[in-house]
Amino acid sequence: MIVETQTIRHLLPEVLLILAASGIFVGGAFVRGRRLWSAVALASYVFALLALALAGSPWNVASTLSGPIVVDPMSCGLRWLAVFSGGIFTLALAGLADKDLASEILGSLMLIVVGIMLTAGANELVLLLLGLELISIPTYVLLFLGRRDRASGEATMKYFFLSLLSSALLLYGFSFLYGLAGTTVIAGTPAIPGIREKLLSAAMDNSPLAALAPLALVLIVAGLGFKLAAAPFQFYAPDVYQGTTNINAGLLAVAPKIAATAGFIRLVIVAMPLAAEYAWQVSLVIAVLTMTIGNVCALWQKDVRRLLAYSSIAHGGYLLIGLAVGTGSVAIGSSASGGAASMLFYVLVYALATMGTFATLAYLGSQEREVSGVEELSGLGKSRPLAAAALAIFMFSLAGIPPLAGFWGKFALFSGAIQFAAANYQSREAAWFIALAIIGVLNAAVAAAYYLRIIGVMYFSPAGMTGVKAAGGSGALAAAVVCAVLVIFAGLFPAQLVGLSLKSEQGLRQNVVAVAESMAPRPGER
Amino acid sequence: MNALLIATVLMPLVGAVILWIIAPLGRPVIRVTALVVTLATFLCAARLIANFPAKASGEFESSAARLEALTQAQTTYASLPPDQEWHWVGQVPGVNLDIRFSLGLDGLGLWMFGLSALLMITSVLVSWEAIEDRPALFYGMLLLLEFGCLGVFSARDIILFYIFFEFTLIPLFFMIGIWGSEDRRYAASKFFLYTLAGSLLTFLGLLAIVFWVYQRSSGGELTFSIPELVAKLNEYPLPLSWQMAVFLALFAGFAIKVPLFPLHTWLPLAHVQAPTAGSVILAGILLKIGVYGFLRFSIPMLPEASAACMPWILWLSVGGIIYGALVSLAQSDIKRLIAYSSVSHLGFCMLGLFAFNPLGVQGSVLQMVNHGISTGGLFALVGMLYERYHTRKIADYGGLARRMPILALFMLLFTFSSIGLPGLNGFAGEFLILLGAFQRAWTGAPASLQNQYVWIAVLSVFGVVLGAWYMLYLVRRVFFGPLKEPHVDRGDHSGEVHDLNLREILALAPLVVLMFWIGLKPKDFLERIEPSAAVATEQVETMLAVGWDKDASGGRRPTGIASFGEVGRRSPSELVPPYEFAAEVKGSAE
Repeated sequence: MIVETQTIRHLLPEVLLILAASGIFVGGAFVRGRRLWSAVALASYVFALLALALAGSPWNVASTLSGPIVVDPMSCGLRWLAVFSGGIFTLALAGLADKDLASEILGSLMLIVVGIMLTAGANELVLLLLGLELISIPTYVLLFLGRRDRASGEATMKYFFLSLLSSALLLYGFSFLYGLAGTTVIAGTPAIPGIREKLLSAAMDNSPLAALAPLALVLIVAGLGFKLAAAPFQFYAPDVYQGTTNINAGLLAVAPKIAATAGFIRLVIVAMPLAAEYAWQVSLVIAVLTMTIGNVCALWQKDVRRLLAYSSIAHGGYLLIGLAVGTGSVAIGSSASGGAASMLFYVLVYALATMGTFATLAYLGSQEREVSGVEELSGLGKSRPLAAAALAIFMFSLAGIPPLAGFWGKFALFSGAIQFAAANYQSREAAWFIALAIIGVLNAAVAAAYYLRIIGVMYFSPAGMTGVKAAGGSGALAAAVVCAVLVIFAGLFPAQLVGLSLKSEQGLRQNVVAVAESMAPRPGER
Repeated sequence: MNALLIATVLMPLVGAVILWIIAPLGRPVIRVTALVVTLATFLCAARLIANFPAKASGEFESSAARLEALTQAQTTYASLPPDQEWHWVGQVPGVNLDIRFSLGLDGLGLWMFGLSALLMITSVLVSWEAIEDRPALFYGMLLLLEFGCLGVFSARDIILFYIFFEFTLIPLFFMIGIWGSEDRRYAASKFFLYTLAGSLLTFLGLLAIVFWVYQRSSGGELTFSIPELVAKLNEYPLPLSWQMAVFLALFAGFAIKVPLFPLHTWLPLAHVQAPTAGSVILAGILLKIGVYGFLRFSIPMLPEASAACMPWILWLSVGGIIYGALVSLAQSDIKRLIAYSSVSHLGFCMLGLFAFNPLGVQGSVLQMVNHGISTGGLFALVGMLYERYHTRKIADYGGLARRMPILALFMLLFTFSSIGLPGLNGFAGEFLILLGAFQRAWTGAPASLQNQYVWIAVLSVFGVVLGAWYMLYLVRRVFFGPLKEPHVDRGDHSGEVHDLNLREILALAPLVVLMFWIGLKPKDFLERIEPSAAVATEQVETMLAVGWDKDASGGRRPTGIASFGEVGRRSPSELVPPYEFAAEVKGSAE
């Protein structure tokens, strides 16, 4: 890992945030108060955004490799998203965080944001793992700080051990990759070949080592699958979400998913084209299992965080449709793709709606008492029209109803699958992808049932005995409203965001093409 | 004209936003505003219809050229050339996302477009007193629904159509769920989920069409424009296996929406629980979106599959006609009875459509409008009765004609329209449909299917008879015989029940005018439907005609699906598979 001054300059926003987080941790020991530290945190996010903006807009950034990081539309876009979600969660916490622990909570949150940013830009196994751990470790702290009762303790322990296990699996997979390629750089250049190039040339030389690639693939999919809460690693999610606060649950539903998406794209689509044949089959099966389990189990949930946990599992399944399409196209050498692009776009619209949902729930509760039962929301349409409207918008968006952002997410995923099938309609893969799309839409219909139930409770039921307190503070409400506006805006005018996701995928492919061209003469030289 | 069309479609949306802003001003202001918005929208729609070209202007060498010019004028009415259309989702250089706010009217959607605008006025007027809870939300939802309906019938972009199609679910979901009767929560969810499950499959079907064309077309342009897709599909038809799959996918959504027997189970529940305005719009407009979808997408884009599925759908249609009529006979709830009668009437629409001859198709398009008028009116009348007596049970009523002669008069008129009395609109539509069905049975069917088609045609005539029976039976029980009124125990109606007031008469009068207009001079309507309908079914019709010409098919009589590939269009095996590219890449990798 060579770190140059150039690299440090690219990492300026991350550095800024790390410094700010350290400042908040240290300062918190002397000065208490959540307003102060929320303001400091928000200001840091604004500075980080400025630093990101100075580096250029994600829409027209040129793909460059710099030491262990890659600057391309995908990493830039995800870093923007990470900082933005940090801001949203900070806003939501502004009136809710425990007064004595505010600085610790906000500092940990900021580290998680940095973790997502590092993962998004990592082009190197060690940095990638570092990014993922930088998400996990502060999460343990946050889970403990959120609430202190037995359920919370259980949730934290569960998450802690399973997360360690998944990191171990991932690391084991990495060790295979390193053993195969002899380098930790993921996508290299002709001069400095990375794992991708080494594996391709190993395959061209018919090296028997290439047969180990599927093994690495399975371990990596398992490790990242935990972050995504994909079946069969989804068991922890409902218990952990239920046992913690609404904001922590929202963080768990968003941060690891963004990181896992980046990880899947870098490690499975970019690094291991050789194992693509296995990758699409594995991800297709996991996608079907995950979304079906998530949606079906969510139907019977009475606890709103449990319900949303299953819903987030299901959305992880939808994301894997994109992975299946992306790797399927690599496997078959097809021109049709859009797999990675649809994953990126989907994770964006999912993150917007999910953050909004949990911010609204946080607003509706109070520091002492969280909103938990679905029935607690009854009559909200009359008593809290703004919060109810925002929640309804998020639910419709998660259900994928036009004209909201979620519709375009589903549009991107399903059109990826259908396009793949239409382009290769005579191949045996086509039937699998059509089946995947059909199962996907049926799942979307099932999912609508529980989202509608929440809307129905809010609007069609008379107010219950135990009304909500709605003492989460104006910050949480503002966070929810910002997300709602963005969900509507991204639903009405999605082209720029869809364009960004497609550019991100082209950015990945540009690297790939450049490498393939430079490698072509090599076998002849020998 | 295009600017006017866009303004017409967007007007209710703007109106809804205004309503939510002025919500604190109270019910009187809100409902007047809603009425003004719907009236303005209707006037714009009426102007669009008045300008619709019914005759080709200028000199022509032959009648064929004249027809060609007329068809051209009608199918491109109020639309813009592709390069001038608004890329509403936004446009990014280098990114292929050509989704346009592409609106236009042709003969298929014209009348439903107008009827949507008209029935909204009726809906506002019938909700005038009935809606007391959160009026701004209610009328806002009503206007959003109008926005969706107008959009569906004028969209020329496949994604835009789908967005409007699904968007209509949201306002109606809230209307049923908030202002419906006792079982409203269940009804609203069932309505939404049932329709959504179907329409998501439809979405996949539409995507399959789009990407099939995208993969085949030489320019590599991703187009979502409906006319372009139809044109390109003639060039690069889908292979039959794909056509059947896509047809079934589209069928899932459209047949549930129609609703085609046996997928109708959501309908009676939704109708009974919905508030009056919801029922009027659901029956009058939303159900037609299903028939319209078949006509707009399935038939012109998938002609082989449509022809192959023809006998099945005809049987389902006639099954719906008979079943709906028989179940209607057995109902004890007026609203339920009319809901089931919709199943029967929509069966007629599908029957005419899938007869695939000009008579049947034109009759079907006309019958869509007729059913909207008569059933919309009937639901409005039931709502008026319910407002007075708070019961929908047939057994609670009797001899009301003496108590409320005006209401009884309207009821009789709408009943006669519904059962197809000559001189009223229902007759024109049903007669054409039956003619179409018989024509198909006697002159256009292969011998193997002729028996079936004759049975279908004959059974559908029984449907007409049954229709007269259950409707007249209803009218007799409720309006004639000894006077029997349910006890009115609400304080605000002090025992004295009034006949229709001016507002209620005004809500119904425009429908009655249309009823007579269509009944007495259907030509005004049909000549605006005919060219577009002919274009839509051209492929299937020629295929059926040529396919059953024994000489043309080398003496072999098509017996099933396999034969349709031979007729006129390129068979799938002639297509150049893009797969070669994939094979090349794969080969070079090895």
